[in-house]
Amino acid sequence: MKKYLPLIVLILLAVMPLAGLAGLLSSYILHMIILVIMWSVVGMAWNLLAGYCGQVSFGHAAFFGVGAYTAGILHSHLNLSPWWGIPASIVVVGLFSLLLGLIVLRLRGPFFALATLAMGEVMRISSENLDWLTGGNLGITLQRTWVDKTNYYYIILAIAVAAFLVVKYLMRSKIGYYFVAIREDQDAAESLGINTTLYKTIALCISGALTGVAGAFYTNYMGYIEPSVVFALHDISIVAIMTVMVGGVATFFGPFVGAIIMVLLAEVVRSIPYLGAAHLTFFGILLILIIIFLPNGIVGDFQKIKRIFGAGGAGK
Amino acid sequence: MKRLGVLLFIMSSFVCGIVCADLARAETLELGVPLPLTGTQAKFGEMEKRAYEIAMEEMNAKGGIKGKTVVLNFEDSQGKPEISRAIAEKLIDVKKQPVIFGDYSSACSKAIAAVANERKVPYLVVTGADDSITQQGWDYVFRLNPTNAYYPTGMISFLNQVVKPTSIAILHESSDFGTSGADAMEKAAGKNGMQVLLKEKYEKGAVDFKPILTKVKALKPDVIYMVSYVMDAALLMNQIKELRIDAKLFAGGGAGHALPEFIHTAKDAAEYVVVATLWSPQVKYTGAKELAEKYKAQFSEEAGYHAAEAYSALYIVKDAIERAKSMEPADIQVAMKATKLMTAFGPIHFEDKDGYKNQNFMETLVLQVLNGKHETIWPQNEASAKYVFPIPKWRDRK
Repeated sequence: MKKYLPLIVLILLAVMPLAGLAGLLSSYILHMIILVIMWSVVGMAWNLLAGYCGQVSFGHAAFFGVGAYTAGILHSHLNLSPWWGIPASIVVVGLFSLLLGLIVLRLRGPFFALATLAMGEVMRISSENLDWLTGGNLGITLQRTWVDKTNYYYIILAIAVAAFLVVKYLMRSKIGYYFVAIREDQDAAESLGINTTLYKTIALCISGALTGVAGAFYTNYMGYIEPSVVFALHDISIVAIMTVMVGGVATFFGPFVGAIIMVLLAEVVRSIPYLGAAHLTFFGILLILIIIFLPNGIVGDFQKIKRIFGAGGAGK
Repeated sequence: MKRLGVLLFIMSSFVCGIVCADLARAETLELGVPLPLTGTQAKFGEMEKRAYEIAMEEMNAKGGIKGKTVVLNFEDSQGKPEISRAIAEKLIDVKKQPVIFGDYSSACSKAIAAVANERKVPYLVVTGADDSITQQGWDYVFRLNPTNAYYPTGMISFLNQVVKPTSIAILHESSDFGTSGADAMEKAAGKNGMQVLLKEKYEKGAVDFKPILTKVKALKPDVIYMVSYVMDAALLMNQIKELRIDAKLFAGGGAGHALPEFIHTAKDAAEYVVVATLWSPQVKYTGAKELAEKYKAQFSEEAGYHAAEAYSALYIVKDAIERAKSMEPADIQVAMKATKLMTAFGPIHFEDKDGYKNQNFMETLVLQVLNGKHETIWPQNEASAKYVFPIPKWRDRK
């Protein structure tokens, strides 16, 4: 049963817009679902670097923003369809991560985290000031391709499936074991002959490229980007971390569950009449509870949740 | 299997929650308003929310819109474009609202405008000032506030006729508002024979301006023009005072310098500062004075132009709905296009010209801080006090 779960979820997701034709799914709900899937891609990317390889990044907005601007600049300077930004961002953000890695991967632990935090901010301030390239604070506006959201939905779903398969394949391969070894003890891994710098760089590049693709999708989907939106520390970098922390660090489905909570639950709570005004308080309390009682996230501590609700007996 | 069941249960309960949350009521007209109620722009969202509520109460006391009681549901967009978009999608799809208005920043307004135009639902931009919003040729997007490019018009005529400067230094904060405001001033200054000695951007939330201001001091410009939000506006003036920079005139380009908090925070450093603005409580439009008094009585705070914009927006929407043939979005769009309404904010009329579509054009005002209060000084027919120029040097002040 467990083996087929991903497949079942995927099939459900794939046929969902067909239900939309019957009027069950409004474009509003589809918008929320698209955001959930987009955030799970960012979450999976962050999870690969931080969850599996142990390199905690506070600057994933840098990758997201560079991806978003790759699509935007292709459109505004070269007059290409911004959809080219998706393949292009893999290359551009991959190279960007490589350069970034040369600098920040020399650092370990909290120093690495601080360096990535700084990189995110450096990228934001640079893009605000490179007026000739990025349009500065006025951002880039482009016409969206479709009014209907079904196409966007399938595109982001395909990206998410691809990202999931990449992460899964990597973690099943030798590289995945190297990542985990580096996370557990970098010096021990080094002494066993693992080229830690190389594998950390690989993790950073793949994680960055996946985030960049999500950024390029964001440009296409929202039709408007500006530095303070796509390079945002709170709204991108921190949300990426929260998504994974809530869902479950170093789990395959954690980012997806985390994205549901961070996007969908946040929206539902925000929409409750009267109580909605206190949505941030409610959400803060929820996050505190999850971090205290479920330190491995919802997926990571699923057995614990089962026990709490008295359903543990039926499991293994 | 159990896990799948739980997952399905969670997902279906979300969907149900969203669908069941809105059961429409019959005799009321519910209108959802996206506004930033939390986050960095919350201050402005709050001011607008209060003004919307004043307008709503006034309307309901006089029989509402088409006999229906107006109920405003404020939705917190947090200043994030994707949330603004989610709200717009919800209002159109789930609530079937035939007209949308509100939100604060240009980025959020743009996100809503794109959705509204695609889905053919009229959207009234209330405060987003970035020029490009009404330059896209979007039929369903209307804007009541003058754009950034038009903010300095009143200021320029004041400069030309009274101050006659030959040089100017422009400082601005790094948002799209600050940038496009500074660009507009730079262009206008060039046309009017002023030399732009310096144009410099500073980070949102900066606290130390002395490095920039030392540069300014060395250049000795006639006018220092600043486009800022609240805290930076006050800090700039305080540090200008500390550095004893004596320009002929200190000018602000809207937002920060025009807010009462600016005077509270900068204290005597704020004195004689002039600021371009869209509205002041002293304008002679009908309803302006009443709004200012009501606002002050309820919240013990001066009403700013954001309040006037929001207050008038609801009246524009009411007027359009009442003139429209039906509650269909397309009919409201036609009615909105034909708007000729006098509001507390000024005369509203949506025009297509100079590359703009459905844009309301109007004269902008200049205020000056005199005796710790914003007084309207320009244009002279709207003035509530005589301007003070030349302004005394720092060492001659008490």
